[in-house]
Amino acid sequence: ACDEGEIVVKFSHVTNTDKHPKGIAAALLEKRINEEMDGKMCLEVFPNSTLYNDNKVLEAMLQGDVQLAAPSLSKFEKFTKQFRIFDLPFMFKNIEAVEAFQASDSGQAMLDSMQRRGLQGLAYWHNGMKQMSANKPLLLPTDANGLKFRVQSSDVLVAQMEAMGGSPQKMAFSEVYGALQQGVVDGQENTWSNIYGKKFFEVQDGITETDHGILDYLLVTSVDWLDGLPEDVREEFLTIVAEVTATRNAESTSVNLAARQSIIDAGGVVRTLSEDQREAWVTAMKPVWAQFAEDVGQENIDAAQSINAAIN
Amino acid sequence: MTAASHASSRMDRLEETIIAIILGVMTLLTFANVVARYGFNSNIFYALELTVFLFAWLVLLGASYAVKKTLHLGVDALVNTAPASLRRPLALFVVAVCLAYALLLLKGAWDYWAPFANLPPTEGRWFPTGFDTGVRGQGWYETQDIPVPFFLRWLEPVFNEGYEYEKLPKLVPYLVMPLSMALLVLRFVQAGLKVWRGQLDMLIVSHEAEDDVAKAAAKLQE
Amino acid sequence: MEILILFGLIVGLMLIGVPIAVSLGFSSILFLLIFSDSSLASVAQTLFEAFEGHSTLLAIPFFILASSFMSTGGVAQRIIRFSIALVGHFRGGLAISGVLACMMFAALSGSSPATVVAIGSIVIAAMRQVGYTKEFAAGVIANAGTLGILIPPSIVMVVYAAAVEVSVGRMFLAGVIPGIMAGTMLMIGIYVMARIKNMPAGEFAGFGEIWASLKDAIWGLLLIVIIMVGIYGIPGVTGAIFTPTEAAAVASVYAFLVATYIYRDMGPLAGEDGDRTSLLRRPQALVTALWHKDTVATLRDAGKLIITLMFVIANALLLKHVITDEQLPQKITEWMLGYGFGPVMFLVIVNVILLIGGQFMEPSGLLVIVAPLVFPIAMELGIDPIHLGIIMVVNMEIGMITPPVGLNLFVTAGVANMSMMGVVRAALPFLAIMFVFLILVTYVPWISTVLPNAVMGPEIITN
Ligand code: NA
Ligand code: NA
Repeated sequence: ACDEGEIVVKFSHVTNTDKHPKGIAAALLEKRINEEMDGKMCLEVFPNSTLYNDNKVLEAMLQGDVQLAAPSLSKFEKFTKQFRIFDLPFMFKNIEAVEAFQASDSGQAMLDSMQRRGLQGLAYWHNGMKQMSANKPLLLPTDANGLKFRVQSSDVLVAQMEAMGGSPQKMAFSEVYGALQQGVVDGQENTWSNIYGKKFFEVQDGITETDHGILDYLLVTSVDWLDGLPEDVREEFLTIVAEVTATRNAESTSVNLAARQSIIDAGGVVRTLSEDQREAWVTAMKPVWAQFAEDVGQENIDAAQSINAAIN
Repeated sequence: MTAASHASSRMDRLEETIIAIILGVMTLLTFANVVARYGFNSNIFYALELTVFLFAWLVLLGASYAVKKTLHLGVDALVNTAPASLRRPLALFVVAVCLAYALLLLKGAWDYWAPFANLPPTEGRWFPTGFDTGVRGQGWYETQDIPVPFFLRWLEPVFNEGYEYEKLPKLVPYLVMPLSMALLVLRFVQAGLKVWRGQLDMLIVSHEAEDDVAKAAAKLQE
Repeated sequence: MEILILFGLIVGLMLIGVPIAVSLGFSSILFLLIFSDSSLASVAQTLFEAFEGHSTLLAIPFFILASSFMSTGGVAQRIIRFSIALVGHFRGGLAISGVLACMMFAALSGSSPATVVAIGSIVIAAMRQVGYTKEFAAGVIANAGTLGILIPPSIVMVVYAAAVEVSVGRMFLAGVIPGIMAGTMLMIGIYVMARIKNMPAGEFAGFGEIWASLKDAIWGLLLIVIIMVGIYGIPGVTGAIFTPTEAAAVASVYAFLVATYIYRDMGPLAGEDGDRTSLLRRPQALVTALWHKDTVATLRDAGKLIITLMFVIANALLLKHVITDEQLPQKITEWMLGYGFGPVMFLVIVNVILLIGGQFMEPSGLLVIVAPLVFPIAMELGIDPIHLGIIMVVNMEIGMITPPVGLNLFVTAGVANMSMMGVVRAALPFLAIMFVFLILVTYVPWISTVLPNAVMGPEIITN
């Protein structure tokens, strides 16, 4: 419980506290702030959607009912369509490219891009690259023809699934495991850690290592709340946020690799793509870029591509 | 029949028809999505979100209808044993509680909805003490999946600085909040007047199945 | 302390006749405004979130609607005829048939009172005609009717699944064996009583009648197959076709089609006194049935039930918000673990809370409040979430037939035209059977978990 006189910060998120990358990061932030800023600030974490789900938490933040949240980047497409760049398939070569883009001027400007709508991005928190799975082997995009894929609500992800000939389906996340198992839908896309954590690999033929997209979170707060903090408190708070971000993001790759290995150890099938196969996926999906280039801004796409080129 | 009771039975029919239509559309929309997915390998991507909003409209608007028809669930065991002289003051107190509830929620519902329509929410914690004009408008805030029907395109110049909406703005589904709470206040006031005049002594039906029971009992008499 | 005042206020308001929904909502609002920094706007948001954030609750309106179409559409009376053909010739046969009919209707309907009304209104009258006492008939039906929420589909299970985020499909499967067990225990109990008291037995009408009555009832019973195949698929033939929520909507549409076009007990093809028009002679009925007065009336009546039930649930979710905001489950868990309570003691406490709570609240609303409180504790103690769900459902069943308040008591009193206390006394011997059953279900988790684990693999807890 918080002491008298402390600034209370409510952090609402949707995962567990000890296994999911976001939950672990939130728990670390909670620990550090409550130790190092004792008497000044008090962070209360509400995990597992007990307070708000990802769709409602941003509304609640604008109302001033919650101060910290970390929804996936897709959720910010309603605030500014620039964020669609992170959903575009094969936009980033790997997590290093994502990291470099987020640290670049373009990525940092996006943190401030929602200020007029009341939100301030604080940091990008990695989950990792997305993989594709279905109830039959997926090696070429044509393998996905006619399959039903569960996707998050996002026009980009819907377009991506249609580009590879799949049928995008909307479904409450709590129903996905059952729907995959019973065959209401055929496939899904997610990161290694989510596929392992939600045990999707148990009810799929296999996971194909496509690395076709990125699932990251934006640690976000309200502009008005942040501006209202005393100067020194704000500085200390932001410093801890930056340090926690660096610590956890550095471990994200190993977390996902561990999850990938755990899937294999548990008897799940992981399929890798040859150069040619991968090229076929890129060719099938790349037309989606043109569809959303105007939303995302060509200069951002160019920035991402030059970062890709610089990484070998 | 008097003119007034004509009007009120027309109002009843209107409300009942709205209830039937919303429920029917919810059912058909969900069913159509199953057919689209299983039969045609396709989808109605917005079906789930739209059905959820229709569900909210059904229940929230219906709550005031249920006040008018005294359908709300409650516990009558103790009230039924209360002496006759106590029942009217007790019922008046119940009305006061219900009114306080509806009025608080009406303020909350307005404060919640107003920013989505670029309107000022009220100030004050318990009572509206004025309008807070410093709040950012959120007329741009869209629902997740529902497309904008052509007849709502006029919302763009009014609420979105002329920019096109990709999806239905939240101000439309959330409108039900202030609307339904205002209706709820109205129905509780009317119920209060009936209690005052001695035409009503409870705001609850004791059990959800009263209609069915009456019907079944009638069947047994046949 | 504040929490005790909160719960005291809720109960106090309910007892003086404030609608349950308002008691829950008003108390929660007062608490939030006084003891927390939540605004009224956030309260309004939470109320709307009851719908927007819990899409699995959508199964509730659809199952209620399906049930309404089946009650008005003549499915119940055909099921009863089939049950009598099967077991009517045993001693106490008509009572046993009543239980069997309740079980079958329960497999179509998600609610207990609906089961009592559909089956009880016919069976109780029939039992009295052949010489059973009114009390015995009412006691049988009041008890057997509670199976409506244990045998899938079940509205109460949907609410539990939504409140604690477990799979609805898993909960439905978990109810199958307990449901059949409870029904069988009731039938055996009746048979024993019938032998002792020498109650009437019907005549065996022959296999021809079994076949004829099955043929007549088959369109209604097929819905059981449609729901189960639709949700779980048939291995090797088809995958599942819809989610449990969608299953409910499909059930509604199917029940409408059967009632309107096959049984023709309602809608444009139903005649004045049982004579039915052929669809071929009135093909426009394919369209006009959609807005026929019988269809609209069924939608409207189902709508009223949905509104009152969901308004309670939405306000109960306001209270759930308070409970979460106060981190009450964590506090109770710490306290319980601190006193060294184990799973057995915990389950006893859950039983007692639900039996007492069931006196004031309609089951779904109570579940919304109690489930999030006890669920984290149960997980901490290593109790299976599906098992916990079944325990809660069986408690709800018993709550429905224990005085002073019980939905099934009231409904049965209405249907049988007797006093509440009369029904209470009549239900008592069977209530003893249900108590034995509760103890069995509570302490033998296997009964609940074996089927879902066999079909869907072991339960995973990912949160
Ligand atoms: Na049932
Ligand atoms: Na009871």
